[in-house]
Amino acid sequence: MEKFAPVKRSEDGQPVRYLIVDDSVFARKNLARMVESFGGLVVGEAGDGVSAISEYERLTPDIVLMDITMPQMEGIESAEKIVRDHPNARIVMVSSVGYQENIVAALQRGARHFVQKPVKPEVLYEVIKYVMRDDGVTTRGAGAGA
Amino acid sequence: MTAPPDDRMTELRQLFFETAGELVQKLNDEAMQLEKSPGDAETARSLRRTVHTLKGDAAACGFRELSELCHEFEDVLGNTAAAASVPELALRAADVFAAVLEAYRKGTKLPSIQALRMDIAHLAHPAPSGTEPAKKKKASAKTSPWSEYDQLAITRAAADGKQVHHVAVQVDPQCGMPIAARQMIQLALSGLGEVLALYPLEGSLGPGDRIEAALASEKPVEQIRAKCSIPSIALNVRVKPLRALAPSYRLPTVSVPDSAGKNKEEDAAPAGAHVTASDATPAGEQSAAAAMPGGPDNVLRVDSERIDNVLNLVGELILAKSMFQQTLLEFGQRFPKDVLRGKFSDAMAFQGRVLNDLQHSVMKIRMVPVDQLFRRFPRIVRDVARQCGKEVDLLVKGGQTDLDKSILDAIAEPLTHMIRNAVGHGIETTEERVRAGKRPQGTLRLSAYHQGNHVVIELSDDGAGIDPDKVRQRALSQGLLTSEQAARLTETETLDLIMQPGFSTAEEITELSGRGVGLDVVHSVLGHLKGTVQIETALGRGTTFRLRLPLTMAIIRALLFCVEGRLYALPLNAVAEIARAFEADIHQVEHYEVLQLRNDVLPLLRLGAKPPTLPETARRKVFVLVIHSGERKFGVIVDEMEGEEELVIKALDDQSITTDLVSGASILGNGKVVLILNMIALMDRFTRGRVAATNTQMSGLLSSVAPVESMASAGGMATPDTRAHCTVGGRA
Repeated sequence: MEKFAPVKRSEDGQPVRYLIVDDSVFARKNLARMVESFGGLVVGEAGDGVSAISEYERLTPDIVLMDITMPQMEGIESAEKIVRDHPNARIVMVSSVGYQENIVAALQRGARHFVQKPVKPEVLYEVIKYVMRDDGVTTRGAGAGA
Repeated sequence: MTAPPDDRMTELRQLFFETAGELVQKLNDEAMQLEKSPGDAETARSLRRTVHTLKGDAAACGFRELSELCHEFEDVLGNTAAAASVPELALRAADVFAAVLEAYRKGTKLPSIQALRMDIAHLAHPAPSGTEPAKKKKASAKTSPWSEYDQLAITRAAADGKQVHHVAVQVDPQCGMPIAARQMIQLALSGLGEVLALYPLEGSLGPGDRIEAALASEKPVEQIRAKCSIPSIALNVRVKPLRALAPSYRLPTVSVPDSAGKNKEEDAAPAGAHVTASDATPAGEQSAAAAMPGGPDNVLRVDSERIDNVLNLVGELILAKSMFQQTLLEFGQRFPKDVLRGKFSDAMAFQGRVLNDLQHSVMKIRMVPVDQLFRRFPRIVRDVARQCGKEVDLLVKGGQTDLDKSILDAIAEPLTHMIRNAVGHGIETTEERVRAGKRPQGTLRLSAYHQGNHVVIELSDDGAGIDPDKVRQRALSQGLLTSEQAARLTETETLDLIMQPGFSTAEEITELSGRGVGLDVVHSVLGHLKGTVQIETALGRGTTFRLRLPLTMAIIRALLFCVEGRLYALPLNAVAEIARAFEADIHQVEHYEVLQLRNDVLPLLRLGAKPPTLPETARRKVFVLVIHSGERKFGVIVDEMEGEEELVIKALDDQSITTDLVSGASILGNGKVVLILNMIALMDRFTRGRVAATNTQMSGLLSSVAPVESMASAGGMATPDTRAHCTVGGRA
């Protein structure tokens, strides 16, 4: 797990701060382990879409890893609400292949990227790098954590 | 040219909808033709032309979605590799096009066209079978990825001085969600500039496929490439400038009849893509003309309402003619020797002839070949046959037979239902047929021909036939009749049961045979049209439905007669002969009255009340109208004959009708109101009366009609009739 070069915030060289949203505790731990191996810091976890929103507001993480199917509020709706209030939020949808349409919907509503379950660390790593070093229209967002 | 543009647009739209409907029908026909003879290059070309025409027309009318859809479809048709699946797709396309047209016409929300889009795109870029991605790439590379609309957009962007890039991205074969991948790429691209086009369309993408986009962006190529190199999604990204367009492509028809706008568009288009806008308009016109039978020069499209107006006026003229005749008669009685009488008479005869011709000419305008309806059926037969796994051939004969348009429209639904029924239930499954020693393919024959003043439409199948015993049992179990009644029914009467409301067979409840309508629809529509339906069946050999329809509905020749002092009429062609009889000749046999007519015993229906059996009434003479309808023959007892007359039928509104025995009313030259009896209902009473076994039902039938008649004479009829009545009264 130590093979990944740490991804830091270019702004201040601090670890990238993550919010992990999934109704499965196991999935959350699994993702947390992965992002920590990328040199990231898990600042919060949420088990449903509603608390994801409040946690986002409280923590303003750099990246949200968001599951699709969750109780109370689905990932798409949660992502949509977060992005509406925080256009610079970087949300990466995490879902199994069967939910492709939901992924498309989430992307249309402002999610930045997606990874498919089961998550492969090397894929997630590349995705994180891509989402973080995003410089096109999202350059403004690079320093959001500062 | 002086008409305001929106007026012209409305007219243009109307024309569009008419021709588009025909084009969709043509598409149906051609697709089925192609299905029968796959690889028929001429049909394939013709089909493609049809789609092309529809595209052009739709674009000219500003219906972009339809035009684009047609365009995508047309592109696929050029791809010979996809030929095998073309007929099926074309049929589905025809359905979708029809639905889209309907939505346009009604201004409602467009139906979903995604499914068809996906299928079309699927054909254009055949599905990944996993092993041959190389071949796939080649196929997609061969056809130009840009539609005409895209090309227009590209041309415009280039003309605006924008840099247009062709971005090709291969989706990572490891990515299990290629559509989501496409969305990512689209997002990335829109972050870079304006995405003018993106292919393939949503849903038709498999892992490892290539996504191609036209992007107008000021960003350097390197940045575009980096931005599109999305981890876990994009495998290799190529970005190259896109500027030179093939000069051969046609400018999409943007010919909204607003010349100012058009000119602007032309100005904006660079020379390479310049095609005169005039090129577009004739294409649309041509297609409209080509779709019409009889060539483009001598055909006029007229709103049927206008023709109805003319026919109405002709009807009034005929009414006026009757008034003249009446007056002439009175004149003749008052001045039998006057020379003027002969002159009047000549003039009347001349006018009558011309009027006759006029009436026929107008009626001819309303006539359309039944083929207009029949051409829909091959598709229906095919679809239903497929659904139930049967093979059915449809043979159509007499498609050129003319029939009044309104009648044709009215029988469209019942006939469609009968055809579905025949394929769904009439014809057996292939196995059953083989077991019965028949050809595996069932045959459905649909024919139309003239017979006197009628058009006969026959639908026969070579299926299992209808078992009258089963029908009887079914009717019994559904409580439609008692066992005693059932025992009395003749075979014909039994068969007619299947058209009774409430009669259904178990199978009929399946979705197949229609949306909950039974054959009673056929019965009621035919009754309304004053037509008849006759069923012939032979167990194991098939069933024939014979619909007899009047040529036209508006004017009938009628026989006038009196019952209990009131005036009634029956369509003349229903009456086979008129006999006279003494009351004493009428005998009671079981539950109904009969008359010995030559060698036959004729069952009778008494419209008035039965007179008491007294010596003086026995000497009273009555008239018996002998009615022939299909296999049935019966007599109707009436008091007095009043002669025959051409009647212009006016519909009665529902409130005035308390019985189904009266189907309409008319006004005579002398201003009297006559009620036209409903033959079908009479016949029903006759049949039911026989089985009901109560002779009270067999006489005095019209007692219930009386209030209606008095209402009608008092001016309680539907408004147009009242008006006509007053006119007559005022002038007479």
